Amino acid sequence: MTMQTKRFSPRDYLEENPQVRKLLRITVVIALIIIGGLLVLAAIDVYTWNGFVVRASKSLVNGLALSMLLFLMVSGFFLIFGLCDVINFAHGAFFMLGGFMGFVIYLGTEAVFLDPALPFYLIFGANQFALSVTAFIVSALGAAAVLALIGGGIEFFTIRRLYGNPIAQILLTVGFMFVITQIVEIIWGPSQFSYFIISNSQITYFFISGLLDFGGGLQFAVYRIFLIFLGLAVAGLMFIGFRKTRIGLLVQAGIEDSEMVEALGTDIRKLFTIVFMLGAGLAGLSGAVLVPWIGANSGHGLTYLIFAFVIVVVGGAHYGRLEGTFFGALIVGLSIQFTSYFIPFLENIIVFIIMAIILIVRPGGLTGHE
Amino acid sequence: MKNLLEIQNAHVYIGSFYILQGISLVVPKGEVTLLLGRNGSGKTTTMKSILGIYPPKEGKIVFKGEEISNLPTHKIVNKGMGYVPDTRRIFGTLTVEQNLVVSMRKGSSREDMQKRLDLIFDLFPDMKGFLKQRAGTLSGGQQQMLAVARALMNENDLLLIDEPTEGLSPLLAKNLIDSLDRLKEFATILLVEQNFRTVSKLGDNYYIFDNGKIVHEGTNMSELIDDKALVAQYLGVSI
Repeated sequence: MTMQTKRFSPRDYLEENPQVRKLLRITVVIALIIIGGLLVLAAIDVYTWNGFVVRASKSLVNGLALSMLLFLMVSGFFLIFGLCDVINFAHGAFFMLGGFMGFVIYLGTEAVFLDPALPFYLIFGANQFALSVTAFIVSALGAAAVLALIGGGIEFFTIRRLYGNPIAQILLTVGFMFVITQIVEIIWGPSQFSYFIISNSQITYFFISGLLDFGGGLQFAVYRIFLIFLGLAVAGLMFIGFRKTRIGLLVQAGIEDSEMVEALGTDIRKLFTIVFMLGAGLAGLSGAVLVPWIGANSGHGLTYLIFAFVIVVVGGAHYGRLEGTFFGALIVGLSIQFTSYFIPFLENIIVFIIMAIILIVRPGGLTGHE
Repeated sequence: MKNLLEIQNAHVYIGSFYILQGISLVVPKGEVTLLLGRNGSGKTTTMKSILGIYPPKEGKIVFKGEEISNLPTHKIVNKGMGYVPDTRRIFGTLTVEQNLVVSMRKGSSREDMQKRLDLIFDLFPDMKGFLKQRAGTLSGGQQQMLAVARALMNENDLLLIDEPTEGLSPLLAKNLIDSLDRLKEFATILLVEQNFRTVSKLGDNYYIFDNGKIVHEGTNMSELIDDKALVAQYLGVSI
């Protein structure tokens, strides 16, 4: 007979002693408030009160704008992963290509509108605001459409044959990531080159290139505020679409059990292709709306793919919750911007520190199971 | 057409495992056909091969006079089959109502939905009370009602029902069987059940499975119940 030795487990101990757990939770909250307070005091000491307010406000606005942009990108990644069970390593490359598509379509539309030989000139020739707004809308939707077609094509002709074979899917999507990046670098050059609309535009005007100035150094780029609202609007539409439309419900049901959805009469393969198109289209849209702010750059593919992984893990979206991507994106976007203004040397690693802490404290992420 | 469904000498593999080794059976229209047998004898695989999830490598499956052996699952189901899987497999993150909505076929109207709901509420009056509840929070019995209700959201000729009483208390199981008994009016039923005594009053004919083969078939359930040797040998119950 073997003796069973019970190992001490802090988790079991806390489960058995709810009062200790409650006390510990209160202590952690108080400690976090104190640490947060001390950090704020230290920041005020270093940057002065006015400097602190300016930096904090800018961090907040930029952080929210970045978060919304990341949410748009990652929600596409999440949909593909959730329903089709495909970890799409090419998603960052879709996003990056969406940026270049947005850039090219914007300038192309602008050139068409400014061509005196064409009827558009009568409408837009003298109205740069209308021209800029229209070209922006065309570029964002155009990039989304191009990427939706590319994503749908990749799913239909290649990935469709590899469902149930995750290793092959990973190799294939990694391959697409390299191919897309290489093609972009052949056309537009390596990641040292960033392409911006304003510096390449014929009219040196972008509809929201202005600044909102509240005085005392409190200036905000209108485009970033616009991004916040755009992100919220698309997020709202997605949440409503997810819950209220038949196709949204089918996607949710499919994330849980795709075989059962098919056994109830839905063509799941077609749904997979639609979701792939939607996911890649969201990557294209978010890539295109990034351009007026951060520019189009061939290096964005890898950087934003890594953000996508971190957001999914931090938010707990890998447990099938769309909300997880939203909260994950908020944490990543805000933490990057706050550290860039207050602790710049941590800017590039803060998301990994947060991911490590969340994985240890709550392995299922914010919305997933513990 | 007397037989709604026919399986002719089906051989089914799951991966490299040879599961169904040449089974043939018929499901007569308007009747309840029972598939009986121990765990792992091939009953659920038979259901899944009818549905095209595990299509037969050899042999034929014919539904309403048309061969369906190599069609994709959704096309088979849309020909008029409703499926109630074992372990229920309801969509836990959706509400009960949303589970029912996603079960309706494309092109169904609001009036169709109301008609189907009326039938469901008639069979399971309790469901009205938890229509807005998240399906993952339902009790086992309620989940089973939902699993059956999902299959009733479309006008189906054949219902494939797999182990409906599994995990239910005897009283809940009896209520469910009573409801299934009433369902006989609306559709032909192919029912998998381990606990054959519970469903004996439903069955018009039966097949007994053992190791991927049909070892016995008959039409008289009371004779089967009395055949103690057969029951002990294939249904894992010794009396």
